[in-house]
Amino acid sequence: MATVNNWIDHLSAAEVKGAVYPGVGTEGILVLVLVVLWIGWHFISNAQEKSKSDAIARKRPGSNDWKSNVTDG
Amino acid sequence: MTDQLTALTTIFTEFYYWITVVLMFLIHVGFCMYEVGASRYKHHQHTLMKNTMLIPLVTVTWFLFGWWIYWAFPTGPGLAPSIMNESAALITDDSAFSAKWYVPTSDLMAVNLNDRISGVFWAAFLLFSWTAASIVSGAVIERITTFAFGILAIAIGSVFWTIDAAWGWHFDGWMLKILGYHDAYASGVIHAIAGGFALGVLAVLGPRIGKFSSSGEPRNIGPRNPWLVTIGLFLIYTGFWGFYAACNIPIFDLGPEYGMEGVTFWTATNIYVTPTSLGGITFNFLMSLSGGLMAGYLISKGDPFWTYSSGLAGIICASAGNDLYHPIQSFIIAMIGVWVAYKLHYWVERKFKIDDAVGAVAVHGYAGFAGLVICGFVLNGYPSSGYSVGAMWVGTDYAPINPLGMFIGAIIMFGVLGFLPGWILAKILHGMGKLRIPKEVELAGLDYTIMEDAKSDEKAVASSSR
Repeated sequence: MATVNNWIDHLSAAEVKGAVYPGVGTEGILVLVLVVLWIGWHFISNAQEKSKSDAIARKRPGSNDWKSNVTDG
Repeated sequence: MTDQLTALTTIFTEFYYWITVVLMFLIHVGFCMYEVGASRYKHHQHTLMKNTMLIPLVTVTWFLFGWWIYWAFPTGPGLAPSIMNESAALITDDSAFSAKWYVPTSDLMAVNLNDRISGVFWAAFLLFSWTAASIVSGAVIERITTFAFGILAIAIGSVFWTIDAAWGWHFDGWMLKILGYHDAYASGVIHAIAGGFALGVLAVLGPRIGKFSSSGEPRNIGPRNPWLVTIGLFLIYTGFWGFYAACNIPIFDLGPEYGMEGVTFWTATNIYVTPTSLGGITFNFLMSLSGGLMAGYLISKGDPFWTYSSGLAGIICASAGNDLYHPIQSFIIAMIGVWVAYKLHYWVERKFKIDDAVGAVAVHGYAGFAGLVICGFVLNGYPSSGYSVGAMWVGTDYAPINPLGMFIGAIIMFGVLGFLPGWILAKILHGMGKLRIPKEVELAGLDYTIMEDAKSDEKAVASSSR
């Protein structure tokens, strides 16, 4: 994975290569992973939000019922 | 970097933008505090989460495509040729400022020893994106789903505002060339568009339950924690300093840039690469803040919520021309902006039953729109760019700043790229049943379950003896 093994060699090259992160050349795969994680997050968080909302809606608490849930510290 | 002067200039510029990003982070902290302070107790935690989660959502999309759009779209495409390659197509060629370098797979979108500026510049613009999305967030509290807001935040933060920035903020933008558009500190490119977008969403989303009486009279749902609102707005003011700084290039030699043989002129410039000074914009920032606060205090008869918001509205209104105005002009323009924002807020609320919970449409949208129009008159005749100045509408060179061009620019920002996309997207989300939380949840409070769980935990703890 290491792109740089020796800084002296790297910096004294005729043309110093700018990209020094591990796995130079795998950017396409990294972007794909990010897109999958990003889309997956939306699906999962949407399902979680819907399930929480549905649970409250089924219970039908009144608009002032939350006051009995205020913790006194 | 092989010589010390180039290194010093480059690393100073890198560090300058880096600091602006840190300062601008305070804008988001401020918006979060402000929104939570303005929301009711039973919605606090969800309100906070909604605004907080726009940070990663917009950041990821800004990395994937938002930054690319900014560099690709200055020509329209098809509206005015680029000064770099003389083509009116998307800018994706091999030129120095091409979008080609900012696709997410580019090695410039990472640690790169040969490029120190792209990352900090990307981040500065990203913080503008958060701001645009956060402006919308405040308006829609207590009844939008987090899912819908996430989609809307991505749309305004990583698509529509970046298109308007490419058109009206980029040194090669078609709006500068054809309209003579000038918006140095983003009255339009951030504030008017975000305000317009919020209005479009609100028109579909509808008011909070109880906001209007059966006869249609609006009721005040004031901030539940005025102190949090106060600190939040102070933090937004603070972050705004970073925003102003980030809209500048701190050190630049305009002589060779404009092709002036033998001329050297080192200066700070605005985003359009025309000269200004940090000292000058400091005068104007503070005078427009003062004008906004004074006007807000008077017009609202000392209401703290409106007075603080008016300080912001004042700066926003003067921002389009704060690189060139006299401080007293800034002061007066700020006062006018506050008057427009305040009056329009209540007129729109009554007339169209729009429930803008924090006055975001007014403070950002109406004040930003007014600021653009005023700028067209006050800076009429100034060049919109340093590169070349020709006639309006031609599009091959740059039109001078003028009232008509700025008015059209304001409509593009608020209406075309703000209101319309917000309204259409909200309609789609509404059609999918994803826009608004169920009525029972709105009445009970978004935090009902969290609070109920906390109460039962506390009971268990209180009844424990060991």
